[in-house]
Amino acid sequence: MSFIIEGLRKAFALIFSLDKEVFHIVLFSLRVSSTAIVFASLLGIPLGFLLGVKDFWGKKLIVVLVNNALAMPTVVVGLIVYSCISRVGPLGYFGLLYTPLAVIIGQFVLATPIIIALTHSAIQGIDAKIRNTALTLGATEMQAAWAVIVEARYAVMSAIIAGFGRVIAEVGAAMMLGGNIKDSTRTMTTAISLETSKGEFGFGIALGMILLLISLSINIFLSYFQSKKV
Amino acid sequence: MNQQILLKVKNLKKIYNNQIVLDIDSLSFNKSEIYAIVGPNGSGKTTLINILNLLEKPDEGQIFFEGKDIIRTSHLYFLKIRRQMTLVHQKPFLFQSTVYNNIVYGLKIRGILYHDQEARVNKALKMVGLPGFERRESHQLSGGEAQRVVIARALAIEPEILFLDEPTANIDQRYIDVIERIIKKINYEMKTTVIFTTHDLSQAYRLAGEIVSLVDGKVVQHVPENIFRGKITQEDGLQWFVITEEVRFAVVTKKKDLTYIYIDPTDIILSNEQFSSSARNSFIGKIIKISEQNHLIRLVVDIGVHLTSTITRESFQEMKLNIGRKVCLTFKASAIKCY
Repeated sequence: MSFIIEGLRKAFALIFSLDKEVFHIVLFSLRVSSTAIVFASLLGIPLGFLLGVKDFWGKKLIVVLVNNALAMPTVVVGLIVYSCISRVGPLGYFGLLYTPLAVIIGQFVLATPIIIALTHSAIQGIDAKIRNTALTLGATEMQAAWAVIVEARYAVMSAIIAGFGRVIAEVGAAMMLGGNIKDSTRTMTTAISLETSKGEFGFGIALGMILLLISLSINIFLSYFQSKKV
Repeated sequence: MNQQILLKVKNLKKIYNNQIVLDIDSLSFNKSEIYAIVGPNGSGKTTLINILNLLEKPDEGQIFFEGKDIIRTSHLYFLKIRRQMTLVHQKPFLFQSTVYNNIVYGLKIRGILYHDQEARVNKALKMVGLPGFERRESHQLSGGEAQRVVIARALAIEPEILFLDEPTANIDQRYIDVIERIIKKINYEMKTTVIFTTHDLSQAYRLAGEIVSLVDGKVVQHVPENIFRGKITQEDGLQWFVITEEVRFAVVTKKKDLTYIYIDPTDIILSNEQFSSSARNSFIGKIIKISEQNHLIRLVVDIGVHLTSTITRESFQEMKLNIGRKVCLTFKASAIKCY
């Protein structure tokens, strides 16, 4: 028991003394996950929108694949991306493995299906009426599409936050692709995993508490946006 | 009134699932007038209004706006014309935002200056009798208020043509009068051409200068009262048009099976008692509606189906008719037109 209490004491000390290493890792994690989410949103929202409004051949298959990707284990994503960017992989030339960019790519692959699927379901329910209303008021096709996204804004925000929640808390892909290199690719989750196995409970608990706090904030945001959905 | 033709369609055809739902040779709408498009359910009213508003493309035919064919035109010109008209849907839809943001939408996408936006929103709200509603959230509005905000949103654009699809179909009885007054006011004050669909003929008479009557996707020359869909059968050497199990008319026709029939209201003789004559159709029913139309009195009589008969004001007064009164309707088999 004492090691837990000792660990907690150390964790608080690290947090309140604004320990450089702890906060470096936290900021790195936030930066990597945010970057991944920005790109995942740029791809996922338009794709989710298209799935919601357009009928095309193979649409059902895509929806099934996207929904399947939601539940894909993070280590599998890590494995797939690893095999693409490792030295012998098709993208090996770029030397991306064990760089922050590799972690971003892994998290991007994880988050994109979530954003696509949630945007798709948000758009699906409201599309026709808004699009028609916008068109009758003189909107171009693009303006009408934008009106649909604006109307679904809370649901789309929920999709982005849910994607962020998934990637900030995942460990498999970050570990396999980033390699948990100190001061380079070490994220909160990979650090917790390493420090715990080293017996550095204080460090692990400190990061764990910060991660929990971030998750909590994400969930508060999420429920706020979901309550806005009329 | 200016008789300039604003909108005209020629040889218009719309096909859904291999079925012609709209087939109009020629139809034109003059500037600054009010038109009612009437017809039974499924006659193509909404499809026509969607095509006229350029929301749907016809499969064949031409649409002219101020004499210019707009189907075969550049994308930009098409958008320019589309922005001179707007449609208020049957079920009003408001964006999840304030009344102001809803109304200003059409102005924003047209790039109207910020300063003018506010003035136009206020003017539109005043027009529909809802000044001061700018900050209200759309979900706080009642059905009648929402309908008026939707009309205000259309008015703010200051369209040349305002289309309304069944403007009073989904609102409380007490608001119908309000909406009708607004429609008249828009036409009178802003000189906007108004084209609306309705299944309520009396509303069409109250509001419109001209009535376009659609049956089975075609424009017919008479208003769609006394139009029925039914089956032609043969019995005892006579031809019958069967509408319901209880109601059937003797007809003279070469048509078979399912068809539409029309009886001119002036061909139906109304009497207090049944009398013997050569006319093969005679029914007793109750008067359910009385209205005035161009010095004639229109009476709707329930004989199992609703039949309209028009009589002169003098006859009406002499016969001392009122709602609920039992009367007899008589018409010849040859008065029934089948098509």
